[in-house]
Amino acid sequence: MSNIYMPYLVTIEDMFEEAPGVKTLNLVFKDPKVRENFEFRTGQFGLYSVFGYGESTFCIASPETRKGYIQCTFRRVGRVTTALSELSVGDTIGFRGPYGNWFPVDEWKGKNILFIAGGIGLPPVRSVIWTCLDRREDYGDITIVYGARTVDDLVYKEELKHWEDRDDVTLIKTVDPGGEKEGWDGKVGFVPTVLEEASPEVKNTVCVICGPPVMIKFSLSVLERLGFKDEDVYTTLENKMKCGVGKCGRCNVGDIYICKEGPVYTAAQVKKMYNDF
Amino acid sequence: MEKTLLKREDLQKLIDGVREKGGRFVAPKTLARQVVYAEVDSTEQIVWDYIVPRNSIKEFFFPQTEPILKFRLMKEGVEVEDVRVEPQRTVLFGVRPCDAASCGSVRKIFTWDFIDEFYTKREDSAVIMTVACTSSDDECFCTTVGVSPEGKEGADIFLKETVDGDYLVEATTDKGKAFVEEFKEVFTEWNDAELKETANPEPIEGVDIEKIVEFLKDRSHYDSEIWAELARKCVGCGACTFTCPTCRCFDMVDEGTYIEGERRKNWDACQFDSFTLHASGHNPRDTQYKRWRNRFMCKFNFYPVKFTTKGCVGCGRCIRVCPVRLDITEVMIEVSEAAKDV
Repeated sequence: MSNIYMPYLVTIEDMFEEAPGVKTLNLVFKDPKVRENFEFRTGQFGLYSVFGYGESTFCIASPETRKGYIQCTFRRVGRVTTALSELSVGDTIGFRGPYGNWFPVDEWKGKNILFIAGGIGLPPVRSVIWTCLDRREDYGDITIVYGARTVDDLVYKEELKHWEDRDDVTLIKTVDPGGEKEGWDGKVGFVPTVLEEASPEVKNTVCVICGPPVMIKFSLSVLERLGFKDEDVYTTLENKMKCGVGKCGRCNVGDIYICKEGPVYTAAQVKKMYNDF
Repeated sequence: MEKTLLKREDLQKLIDGVREKGGRFVAPKTLARQVVYAEVDSTEQIVWDYIVPRNSIKEFFFPQTEPILKFRLMKEGVEVEDVRVEPQRTVLFGVRPCDAASCGSVRKIFTWDFIDEFYTKREDSAVIMTVACTSSDDECFCTTVGVSPEGKEGADIFLKETVDGDYLVEATTDKGKAFVEEFKEVFTEWNDAELKETANPEPIEGVDIEKIVEFLKDRSHYDSEIWAELARKCVGCGACTFTCPTCRCFDMVDEGTYIEGERRKNWDACQFDSFTLHASGHNPRDTQYKRWRNRFMCKFNFYPVKFTTKGCVGCGRCIRVCPVRLDITEVMIEVSEAAKDV
């Protein structure tokens, strides 16, 4: 038996500036055996630690189909994320995980998938997007609606371009009114509004949504109006976590421990939870 | 069940025996003018006349602070060292039935799926010697929540005091039996001495635990206006959680210099506003009544329904230490009352 709080050591192999204050790290396990054997499912999360500063919880932003490394994307807001963003390539951090449940991508075979994300809500969704794109033939139409406050705040700018260029993906990108700048070729408007205008196919479609609470709230109403069933709409809940393994008592929404029973839920499940958000 | 006698005059031999084998002996003693469960090396330190010690026994399995790993930042990178718990055997003497009953509850949290060995190893190597209560105070309410002043739940060895101040001994688990066998020279033949009368705190009128549990299962009652009203005076000091035998929330913190240090697991409380505060500034439990409601839910919904175990053992500590006299049993009465109407 072992110490459940012991992290793996991972090396920062590469880092990218995605947007102001937002970085992505490519992480490689130091132990070759772990590097070889580490597996996770899309939607699972981990705790990333800078020793001397503590741990932070983020989803694994890379897809389950890519082995040998993991990625996380985070915004610099607190003590740990500030320390993380000041590290350099070659530095060592800790990683515990993978924890939690995942998006049931295997059950979605043959279906269309509609991805909706806002701001820093794209990283967990992006893990699912790439997992599905890497098994493209398993799925029907893939549509991505992504928005941020401003053009600069959009994350994964290179990938947005790539998805836009692909024939087998429909990308609708938008920025909040006032967030556009010269040369912007996307839409201007809030995600729920843009979603409603796009009026995506409902039949045989599942939806994955993640973003700020207000975006989710209004987008869920739009999805309902469009005819989506709550059972077909998936999201990932984020709450403050410390242990990640159902012990420390923080992440519960009523009687549901997000870290162990989530973080992935359907809108139908979320509606049945205690009002503790 | 074979009964034996533990004479008070022989207790020192037991303390010495446990300590000689590298164990620690814990009993009620006075520290900072309060009766607490603490390590003793002599019966002279033991307080015999007490109701409920100020602390619960959880700290012997789940310390207020403990290192969970050590790290060192080197030129070549980070070195992380596992901290293994090699617990000392802990013999806890004079444990109240309410405290003994709480161990199974805390254990459930530390063992569902992921096993926290910092907790389990310590608890596994402990011997709990419960003693039946012969007195209770106004804050005791174990009988209201289904715990008895002579309850054996969680006890390895169950003791009842005789009128002479000795103890009738009943080993209730294999661990307890093995312990009595190991120190058999200390335990003598049962002499049919007269036993002191067990305390019998009356169940609190107007509390219906089943009704409370049923009421809380309905999530619409979570939004009831009673919560803001009932918890209004809570100041969020968290004293109830730290003294509660089943509260076990914790924080994980890195301490030390940025060259070397430890990651520690520290007691924390769901009553603090920073407890659930997101980095974004959003806080799901942003007002004190929501945090108080969460604790009440934990005791009467999460523990009994989700973990099928006791959330509240009726020790009364939260009432004794509350600076604003927020009495959980008064809330239990109110919720039982509200449950009548649905």
